[in-house]
Amino acid sequence: MFSEDTILLLYEITDVIIAGLSMGSVYALMAVGMTLVYGVTKAFNFAYGDFFNMGGYFAWILIFGLGFQFMGYLGVLIIVMPLMFAVGYALEKLMIAPLRKREDWENKVMMLTLGLALFLTSLYTVVFGVRMKSLPPIWEGTLEIGQLVFAYQDIMIFVLSLGGIGLLGWMLNNTRIGMAVQAVAQNPVGAKIVGIPKERIFASTFAISTVMVGFGGILLSQKYFINPMSGGTIMIKAWVVTAFGGMGSIRGGLYAAFIIGMMEALVGWVFGLSYGIIALFILLIATLVFRPQGLMGKGG
Amino acid sequence: MRFKHMAIIIGAAYGVMAILPLFVGDIKFVMNILIMCLIWAVVASCWDVMMGFAGIFSFGQVAFFVMGAYCSGILAIEYHVTPVLAILIAGLFTGGMGVLVGLPCLKLAGPYVALVTFGVHMALQPTLRGEIGIALGSGGSVGLLTIPPISMFGYTFSSANMVPTFYLTLLVSLACALTIMLVIKSYWGTAFLALKDSHDFAMSLGISAFKYKLMVFALTSFLTGIIGAYYGHFYGVVSFRLLDLDLFSILMVMMLVGGLGHFPGAIIGAFLVVAGSEFMAPLGAYRAVTMGALVVVLVLALPNGIMGLFMKNNAKKIYGS
Repeated sequence: MFSEDTILLLYEITDVIIAGLSMGSVYALMAVGMTLVYGVTKAFNFAYGDFFNMGGYFAWILIFGLGFQFMGYLGVLIIVMPLMFAVGYALEKLMIAPLRKREDWENKVMMLTLGLALFLTSLYTVVFGVRMKSLPPIWEGTLEIGQLVFAYQDIMIFVLSLGGIGLLGWMLNNTRIGMAVQAVAQNPVGAKIVGIPKERIFASTFAISTVMVGFGGILLSQKYFINPMSGGTIMIKAWVVTAFGGMGSIRGGLYAAFIIGMMEALVGWVFGLSYGIIALFILLIATLVFRPQGLMGKGG
Repeated sequence: MRFKHMAIIIGAAYGVMAILPLFVGDIKFVMNILIMCLIWAVVASCWDVMMGFAGIFSFGQVAFFVMGAYCSGILAIEYHVTPVLAILIAGLFTGGMGVLVGLPCLKLAGPYVALVTFGVHMALQPTLRGEIGIALGSGGSVGLLTIPPISMFGYTFSSANMVPTFYLTLLVSLACALTIMLVIKSYWGTAFLALKDSHDFAMSLGISAFKYKLMVFALTSFLTGIIGAYYGHFYGVVSFRLLDLDLFSILMVMMLVGGLGHFPGAIIGAFLVVAGSEFMAPLGAYRAVTMGALVVVLVLALPNGIMGLFMKNNAKKIYGS
C-alpha cells in the first residue's frame, strides 16, 4: 500500500514525536518550578539551569562515585531530592533574603544569581571535567507495538515528570504549606497579617523549585548527557516555556512545554540541532510582541 | 555626582593611564593589559549607562561587542574596506541592531528584557558558527583570523608598535567616556534617570519613554560596536569564544566593583579588574570559579562599589557623623 520510504518516514516522525513528548514533559517540570518561584517570590533565578545539572551530578556521584545500589533510581531520588531542597533553602536564606530589603533588589538578585551560575558552571568543569557524563537508563528495554518501538525510558520520563507536576499541584491545593504559598503569592501583606511566616515561605518555594529542576535534571540526563556548560541554555529554555505559557499559570506552562518540546524536536530533525535555540528565540520574540501575557497568563 | 567631580575622576584615571607607558612602554605584555583596560572600560561604562542610569536590565552588551567586531572584520576582509571606515560602519550597524533589539524590549518588564537580551547573546553563537554565519563570512567555528590593523596617514597601528597604538586606544576610549559623560549630564541623562526613578511621573511630564529608551539602546550599542570593531582590528583575531560566560561575568565584576549607576566608577572598576584578573592568572581553571564567587560576594557586600565607599566618606564629612 505504502512505499518503503513512506513507512520509514512515518517511523522517523514517530521517533520525533516521542522525543518531543519526553522533552516536553521535562520542560513542563522545569517551567512549573520557575513559574512558582517567580510568581511567589518575584526573584528571578539565573542559576536555574545549573541546578538542573546539580541534580544530574548528585545522581552521578551516588551511582558511580559511591556505587549506590539501593532500589535503583528510587533510592537515588530519596537521597537527592532532600539534598536539593536543603541547597535551595540555604541559598535563599543566605543570598537572596538579605537582598530583599534593598532598593532595586530584583535586579540585584538577577546579578547575584548570574554570578552563581558562572560559579557553578566553572565549578562543575573543574570538578567533573568538561567531558559529558551519562547516567544509566532508568528502565532498560523497549516496548514494541507492531512495528513501532517505544523505549521504556521515554515512557518513564513522561510518567514521572507528569507525576511530579501532579504531586506539586496536589500539594499547592491540599496542604497547609501549599495554601500558605498561594496566599503569599496572592497578597504578601495579607498573608503576613494572618500570621504566615513570609520569609520561610519564600525560602521553601525557592527550595521546591530547585527540587523540581533537579528532578528534571536526573530524568533528562539519563537520556541525554550531563553537560557542565549547558546551564545557560537550559535556563533560557525553561524561561521561554514559562513566558510562552504565561507567568504564574501552571496549566499554561504545561501546554507551552509540550508545544516547545515538539517544536524543538521537529526543528532539530528538519534543520539540525543547533537551530533549536534560534527557533526558540524567534518564538519568544513573537510571543512577547503579540501576546506579552503568554498563552494562559493574566496580564503582562 | 556633579559634573566637576565626574570630569576630575575621569581625567585622573585617564591621566594615570597616559603616563604609565613612560615606565612600562617596553614591556609588550603589560602594554597589552593596559590596552585591554581601556577597551573594557568603554564596554563596562556603556553597560552601566544601560543598567545603572536607564534602569534597562540588558544582558546583550557582549553580544553587541561581538557583533561590532565581526561586522568590521568581515567588511575589512571580504570587501577590503579601510579599517577606519569599517569601524564606523560597524558602529552604525550595531547601533541599528541595538534599536532592533530595543523595540520589543520597550513594552516589557525587568526580567523579560533580561531574557530577550540574554537570548540575543545565546542565539548569536550558533548563528555565527552555523551556515548563516559562514555564508556571511564569519569563518564558522574558526572565527576571523586575518583582520587587518588600523592604518591612518600611512601609519599602521598594530601590536608591533605598542606605544602609539596605546595612545590611539586611549584617545578612542577617552572620547567614548566623554561622550557618555556629556550624555549623562545633558537633558537626555536627566530624562533617563527620571524614567528609571518614576516611570509614570516622568511620562506625565512629557518625557517619551519610547524615544529615550530607544536612544539608550542606540547610543550604548553604537559605542560598544565601535570599541568591539576596534578590538577586532587591534587583535587581528575574533572568535565566538568572546561570547563565553567568562567575559560576560568579568564585565559584570567591573561594573560591580565600580558601582552600578555611579558612572566613572565603571571605568575605574574596569582598570582594577583587568589588572586584578591578570594577577589571578596562576589560578588557571579556578579563575572563573573565583570570578563567579566574586560577583555573588560583591552584590551582597558592596552594593555601590568603590564609588559607594567614596561617597559614604563624603557624606560623613558633610553631615559630621
